Amino acid sequence: MNRQTKLNSQQQHDEQQLAAARQMQQPAPLEFATPEEMLRHDALHTAVPPTIAFRLQESIGKTPARPLSWWRRLLGGSGR
Amino acid sequence: MSEPVAERKSSHPPRAPGQRREEERTPPAAQRDDLIRTVLGESEFADLYTEHSRAIYYLALRLLSDPQKAEDATHDVFLKAFRKMDQFRGESSWRTWLYRITINHCRNLQQSWNDRHMLSNADEAVWENAAAKTDSPLRVLETKELGERIQKALDALPGEYRLLLLLVADQQMSYEQVGALTEQSADAVRGKLHRARKAFAALFQQSA
Repeated sequence: MNRQTKLNSQQQHDEQQLAAARQMQQPAPLEFATPEEMLRHDALHTAVPPTIAFRLQESIGKTPARPLSWWRRLLGGSGR
Repeated sequence: MSEPVAERKSSHPPRAPGQRREEERTPPAAQRDDLIRTVLGESEFADLYTEHSRAIYYLALRLLSDPQKAEDATHDVFLKAFRKMDQFRGESSWRTWLYRITINHCRNLQQSWNDRHMLSNADEAVWENAAAKTDSPLRVLETKELGERIQKALDALPGEYRLLLLLVADQQMSYEQVGALTEQSADAVRGKLHRARKAFAALFQQSA
């Protein structure tokens, strides 16, 4: 009888520890006071695809150089 | 890339306590900046892209509801900016200028898409009649779930409210700047923002 009580108590203790461990593993829910706060969080965690920079480099490379304005030609400037 | 200080400071929407500033760079952001420098080189345009690409991509993503379309739009916006950089007169901030290009570009895309599909707007009654507890905090379990639910709620909002919320959420934007972009006074922005928040909260809670 005594041994049974001891076992039950041990089992209870183990279950409590398991529940506590499970709770610690679960991420805390995100909470936002306003929609703007939520949107800022979302924006911060939204990655910009790196392909955009590569595509831009390619497109810019194909862009013909702009002709210099008359005053830049006059001053001998090189433009951008 | 500096911005006109006078324009940036006035009537700034308040920052929520504990809110991180976007300028606080996380390691992935630093790596991203290095990549941009490698690809676009050291130039004024690379600075512009580094500083604003996240905001422009995010706005395009949430307005167009499609990552591929948002990628294309961000590319087109920055290409347009590159070609017109020497026409920028500093009358607004760079961010405002880029937002204006983005908003017009996304409107054109949506217009041509709507023309082809003849879709009506979302049913406004969904949020107008919603009895959601809009004063309670908005909760979500995981970040990955957050994006989907935000998109659902934004898609169901009237376009004007969607744009207002997205612009005001950007801490670099004052109510005056948001008003200038959406062609209304700062007071009108404040007034509509209250209704936009309420509608968004109701729709967000329904999206769970």
